[in-house]
Amino acid sequence: MNIKLVARMAWRDVRSGEMGLLLVALLVAVGTVTSISLFVDRLQSALLEESSNFLAADRQISSSRAIPEDFIVQAQQRGLNTAQTLVFPSMVFAGDLNQLVSVKAVDETYPLRGELIVGSEPFQRGAPTDAVPAPGTIWLDSRLFPAMNVALGDSLEVGMAELTIAKVLVAEPDRGGSFFDLGPRLLMNLQDVAATEVVQPGSRLSYRLLLSGDETELESLREALPLKPNFSWISVRESSPRIGRALDRAESFLLLGGLLGVLLAGIAVGLSAHRYAQRHFDHVGVLKTLGATPAQILRGFMSLLLLVGAIAIVMGLLAGSLLHIVIVQLLASLIAVELPMPTVRPFLLGGATGLICALAFAMPAFVHLKNVEPMRVIRRDLGVAPLSRWLSYGAAAAGSLLLLVWYTKDLWLTLWTLLSIVSICVIFGALAWALLKGGRVAGMQAKSGWRLALAGLQRRRMENTAQILIFGVAIMLLLVLVLIRTALIDEWRSQVPEDAANHFVMNIAEDEVEGVRALVRDQATEGEFLFPMIRGRVSQVNDSSAKQWQETVGRQGGGPRLTSERSLTWSVLPPENNAIIAGAWWSADSTAAEVSLEQEYAEDFGLQLGDRLEFDVGGRRVWSTVTSIRSLEWESMTPNFYIILSPGALSDFPATYMTSFFLEPSEKVFLNTLLRQYPTITVIEIDALIAQVQKIVAQVSQAVELVLALVLLSGALVLIASIQASRDTRMAEHGLIRALGGTRALIGGSLTAEFLVLGAFAGVVAVFGAELVVAMLQLQVFELQAEAHPWIWLLGPTAGALIITVVGLAGSRSLIDTPPMNVLRGL
Amino acid sequence: MSRTVVSAEGVEKIVQTSAGQLVILDGIDLEINEGESVAIVGASGSGKTTLLGILAGLDTASSGTVKLLDANLTELDEEARALTRGQHVGFVFQSFQLLASLTALENVMLPVELRGDTLAQSQAQELLEKVGLADRLDHYPRQLSGGEQQRVAIARAFASDPTVLFADEPTGNLDTQTGERICQLLFDLNQEFGTTLIMVTHDLQLAARCSRTIAISGGQIVPSEQATASAL
Repeated sequence: MNIKLVARMAWRDVRSGEMGLLLVALLVAVGTVTSISLFVDRLQSALLEESSNFLAADRQISSSRAIPEDFIVQAQQRGLNTAQTLVFPSMVFAGDLNQLVSVKAVDETYPLRGELIVGSEPFQRGAPTDAVPAPGTIWLDSRLFPAMNVALGDSLEVGMAELTIAKVLVAEPDRGGSFFDLGPRLLMNLQDVAATEVVQPGSRLSYRLLLSGDETELESLREALPLKPNFSWISVRESSPRIGRALDRAESFLLLGGLLGVLLAGIAVGLSAHRYAQRHFDHVGVLKTLGATPAQILRGFMSLLLLVGAIAIVMGLLAGSLLHIVIVQLLASLIAVELPMPTVRPFLLGGATGLICALAFAMPAFVHLKNVEPMRVIRRDLGVAPLSRWLSYGAAAAGSLLLLVWYTKDLWLTLWTLLSIVSICVIFGALAWALLKGGRVAGMQAKSGWRLALAGLQRRRMENTAQILIFGVAIMLLLVLVLIRTALIDEWRSQVPEDAANHFVMNIAEDEVEGVRALVRDQATEGEFLFPMIRGRVSQVNDSSAKQWQETVGRQGGGPRLTSERSLTWSVLPPENNAIIAGAWWSADSTAAEVSLEQEYAEDFGLQLGDRLEFDVGGRRVWSTVTSIRSLEWESMTPNFYIILSPGALSDFPATYMTSFFLEPSEKVFLNTLLRQYPTITVIEIDALIAQVQKIVAQVSQAVELVLALVLLSGALVLIASIQASRDTRMAEHGLIRALGGTRALIGGSLTAEFLVLGAFAGVVAVFGAELVVAMLQLQVFELQAEAHPWIWLLGPTAGALIITVVGLAGSRSLIDTPPMNVLRGL
Repeated sequence: MSRTVVSAEGVEKIVQTSAGQLVILDGIDLEINEGESVAIVGASGSGKTTLLGILAGLDTASSGTVKLLDANLTELDEEARALTRGQHVGFVFQSFQLLASLTALENVMLPVELRGDTLAQSQAQELLEKVGLADRLDHYPRQLSGGEQQRVAIARAFASDPTVLFADEPTGNLDTQTGERICQLLFDLNQEFGTTLIMVTHDLQLAARCSRTIAISGGQIVPSEQATASAL
């Protein structure tokens, strides 16, 4: 067939509605994928950019040694921006008062991402600035002002240098990383460090090179530098696990949403192509009698498919782009960050989705057309040999796999999803078949709508089983998305509840504990814990010294060593959010010296249950046995300890205490009162960090909900396509019944009953499938707790029955309303 | 002596059913010469439509040989049979079989287009004028009456200038008066184009207008009186 003829046929098919559903299904597939990936692409870049503020850079290189000049030269040669910081603890003096502070010395380019907020009065809101402290000046945390009894313009002694206090430091972007970056902040210029003479061999120093710029250049720099063992490379995901995990999960969810959207659209494309082919059997028969060869038929219909595919792709890309602009506009007030321009990937992905959907899901039905016997033209009762299942399912499976792997870049997620769907189809296909097979009755049972429907369901049990599975899988995929979305958002919200403690108080002396707690209880909301804190280090493991043990284990890379000094605590009960994964927690009345280790810590240093550790606490030594290993939730906004000892081991050691409280932003002046009364305690404000996490969670949740809405659209399309696909068979039977005297009420009742049964069955399939898939996804992909959802067991079948009935009756209205003569003529 | 256009030798058609083998055609031998008009008659289920399908290369015989002009249809695959049909055969069907998505003119142009020939449009237009549908060129099948649709189908059948025209109950879906007019048109054009006409029909009057009648009963050729009697 020549191309003009193909184009004419395509146009007529589109105009007459024959090709309409296929075109719409392809268009929705392309549009959904394009808009989701455009949005995700831009939002990901934006969220990552926002999250980069936690590092004050895109990447950091950190070390206890000075950053070699060569690193900076190489970074700058790649066009990257650089800044340097040096953090160290130091005692500062003002008159008779002294205080341990955490000094951060920065150069002029700091920070590369995010901004410094400064003010002219302690505990005020402050405003962003582009500057850093000028040489000779320092900026101080609000709480240092009452503690040192100083004001702006006064000077402080930092080591050998005397520096002038120029501003109040309200916030710095890369402060959120660790709870144990102890002491209030003193920000100074890097040029003044030499004059302080505090940087000596043995000092606790943390040098950082901050980097920002092009992603590929950053990665190439990482490859090029000899980082290990003395230098660590830090990105947002490593430095701030809270944000990293939220981003990872959101990304997985958005991809999963896209993946399900593609699958649903693929099913819709397959169904509508199948129907199109079926309605063209006669057409092809005529063409063949007129001399069209199978090869010509194949070429012709493939060209037609590609032509329609091309139209759908162009329209889908346009629709997807427009939809994504609408989405961005709608969410403009919620997305505080400016979205960067999209990359070309979403468009490529959308186009390829259209092409692969057309080839994998629609092509088998089109290829099948070449097998139509020309004899069918004079003998309409001649069926058409069924489509090869291998071709049809094989192409669909291969297409899905290709598309999903490319889309999610995650073979594991794809295989699990496909495997679950296939297993569910096999199990429930067999079940539905058996149920429909039972008790086949004679005749059409046209006495009542209900019996007519049941008899019809049983007579066409092959088609009905397939339809139950299609409805079931569509509803299941939607349920999966709803359940995962709910679990994710709940999880995020529970990590940072509205009234989560947003201030930590440390270094509380034993005799201050009651006073501090009374004051906190009076003027703020006290947190739920009170931990003793004791600084100590591991000095011996079993019969080896800790140093020897570490050498034997051979731990590489930066980070603290086994012998590093750490915060130890003791506790009667295991802290909340800690799960014992090996051994057992000590009993409340135990007097034995026992120790519980964090899982990764134990793995890193090769420590196991039963190992004996000796701790050196300020010269005093204590032995204890490892009796449990714990896993922690690093995302939670509570203090986490690598090492917790039993009361029997540590309770008689002098300790300082740590607690937490929640304070409204308007009541922050309370910190002045607290610090004035207890000048030696340390208050860590994490309210800004919590606010930032909450903002990101809100943005990501919005994106998740939006993707859900888009996928629901694809789901609706599958239902319509599936009902359309079975419309011809129903039309034939019901047209005949009406011609033989069946009333509209009888047909209406029968259709309602049929859709109710199909929908309820599909709902049961969907609920079973959804529970299985969700449990698997929660455990394997999202690392959440798996749980059953009893509420969907009633909701699934009920909603399934209602939705299918409403969509089904809407799609079959013409069956009831059209005069029987027209129905029979159209057959 | 005129040449043989269609021949069948020992043609059998057997299909497998759940009840066992069903013999539809049982040893058919026949020869039809160029320019003949042949009516195949028989009762419902006698196998006449199956025979027409096999002679036209729409279907294949279970055994035996069928030749259409120089082509041995039994040795050809569907691809080659289609090419032979396109070159030499025209069809008129009881249910018209026009493509609903094409106009009358486009339906008539279709066989020529499929052959890849040019000038399809002017030929098609001429044929439609001949069948009296000059003012219906751009109408779609659903906008035409049954008789008009069959006239379009006849115009389409002659569009490719076929050697043999197969007609399956061409007046079966039409009223007597319209059927009569269609029949006249078919025979007129057949004469004008010098086509060999092979027609399946129930209509004995129509059969009587043909130069020869082949009667089928129980899948075999029988003397025409016998078939006529059983048909009635």
